[in-house]
Amino acid sequence: MGEQGVDETILEVQGVHTFIGQHHILQGISFDAKADAVTVLIGRNGAGKSTALKTVIGLLPSSKGKIIYKGKEIQKNRPFEIARMGIGFVPENMGIFSELTVEENMRVAMLVENEATARRLDRTLEMFADLKKFWKAKAGNLSGGQKQMLAIARAIVNDTSLLLIDEPSKGLAPIIVDAVIDAINRIKEHSVVVLVEQNFYMASSVGDYFFILDDGMVAHAGHVEALIQDEALQSKYLGISEAEE
Amino acid sequence: MAGPTPVQIFHEEEKKRQYRSGTFFLKVGLLLLFLLVPVLFPAFKTIDLAMQIVLFAVLVASFDILLGYTGILSFGHGMFFGIGAYCVAFLIGKYGMPSYTNLALGFLIAAIVSAALALLISFLTLRVKTIFFAMITLAIAELAIILATKLTGFTGGEDGISLNTPGIFAVSFNMGDFMGLEITGRVFTYYFILFSCIALFLIMLRFTRSPLGRVLQAIRDNVQRAEALGYNTFLYQSISITFGCIMAALIGGLYAMWVGYVNPESSLGVLTIMLDVLLMVIIGGMGTLYGGIIGAAFLKITQTFLPDLQHLAMDLFPHAQLLHNVLERWLLLFGILFILVVIFFPKGVIGSVNEYLLQRKMAKPTISPSSFTPTPPGNRP
Repeated sequence: MGEQGVDETILEVQGVHTFIGQHHILQGISFDAKADAVTVLIGRNGAGKSTALKTVIGLLPSSKGKIIYKGKEIQKNRPFEIARMGIGFVPENMGIFSELTVEENMRVAMLVENEATARRLDRTLEMFADLKKFWKAKAGNLSGGQKQMLAIARAIVNDTSLLLIDEPSKGLAPIIVDAVIDAINRIKEHSVVVLVEQNFYMASSVGDYFFILDDGMVAHAGHVEALIQDEALQSKYLGISEAEE
Repeated sequence: MAGPTPVQIFHEEEKKRQYRSGTFFLKVGLLLLFLLVPVLFPAFKTIDLAMQIVLFAVLVASFDILLGYTGILSFGHGMFFGIGAYCVAFLIGKYGMPSYTNLALGFLIAAIVSAALALLISFLTLRVKTIFFAMITLAIAELAIILATKLTGFTGGEDGISLNTPGIFAVSFNMGDFMGLEITGRVFTYYFILFSCIALFLIMLRFTRSPLGRVLQAIRDNVQRAEALGYNTFLYQSISITFGCIMAALIGGLYAMWVGYVNPESSLGVLTIMLDVLLMVIIGGMGTLYGGIIGAAFLKITQTFLPDLQHLAMDLFPHAQLLHNVLERWLLLFGILFILVVIFFPKGVIGSVNEYLLQRKMAKPTISPSSFTPTPPGNRP
């Protein structure tokens, strides 16, 4: 991460409210993302995890509150402006451009095509070897795991300092989830990651800090190690029982 | 950097393959065919058919930039074709003498007017959802037809404008025979329009294969995802509409040169132009550009020759009244042919063939999707 110190906060979300239609989804949510760390937003379905990420990237407008990225308020900016500030977004459901080829997906993600981007592209292709193999194939024909890898690769090919990843394990086989975990662990060497995840195994494998969301608010926050030890908290908010573990 | 990167290797391999592929030879063959039409088939009906196919193929390609590459359905595209036709007709017909300068000015004004109008429409209507955008453009196109019909003093009204092309393009121009081909103004006009259409098609091809074209396709797939990648989708959509409309206006100008006459119905008509263009893009395949050639050829050939089937049937089977009655309603046959094409080529001819070839390629073991190789699982907590 170079320039950022360990405790430096790169993203601060302060008392943000978001409506989808008439539904009040985020009800004053506050969380932050520290440099050199993976912050995980976890919680049950409908808790507002994905809405929180979409609000940060600007796809959903916040009605109240502040979103501060590297000391600058961004809640009024359009999504493309936020993305150009260095925030990458990996949407849920393997959000790729299915009618484009793998190459076209990667190239469309490259905001500038210079030597630095070319180097990052090569590094990304080394990280995700399958993408190199299916370079000319239509992205819609890839398997679920490959689509997820492509979605992540697309987000890191630019010089992103913050990566928002929405439920990367959704719909993937456990063995593929392990590959995604491995990828995120490598990405965190270069970018700060905010991860939305319902899969506790994945969240605990990559996360450093956690925020449990419940009904559009932060119910608990802390170090992931503490959450792993706290079975009562897991059971209350994440619906994990000892038998499931 | 030490050696070529994987991406550079891919591009080198692609360049090598480009001039060896079957489609490359098919394109060259098609180009030769259109080049030789006046020599091999000097009858006006055949030359006119070839010209109509070329003009509409390129018009469909310009519409495909909007619909197939950007996901924008505009019923106003035919209006820009009409604007181009009228601009050329004004400059060398109603308000000016037929000269090369006026002809060039006609095309320039067509491009400027259509660009300004396309930008205005984009800014006013792009923020609404797709179906509303289509309806607004339909209303604007209908308004243009009403204006062209009612402003008789300015546009010639329903009577339209007749125009004479200048110099070597004039109908009366004749240079005599060359290798059995009579070199007339028609022949010069044919080749001028053919080469202009090829140039416009290549520009559109370059446009769609540029980084900008890739962004447009991403926007077509998912606007929000494209925006989240850092693209001002509104700006890109406006560029696409403006570019497609300028192309349509230039093709309209070429069309006016060929037919020598413009009126509201033949140049601006939503039913006469837009319906044909929509059918052509569906038949050929959206998002392919080349699909326009297949669509235009199918529609123009059937429209030219199906009505003749009745006369043929009368000569061959003079007493088969039922057959005569059926063939008299040739649009019915055309409808059946169209349904068959849609059934057998659901993504258009080019789109379906591309899909078939891709599936065959995917079936080969070298690119099997089952080859995902994850790294060994880490320690579970």
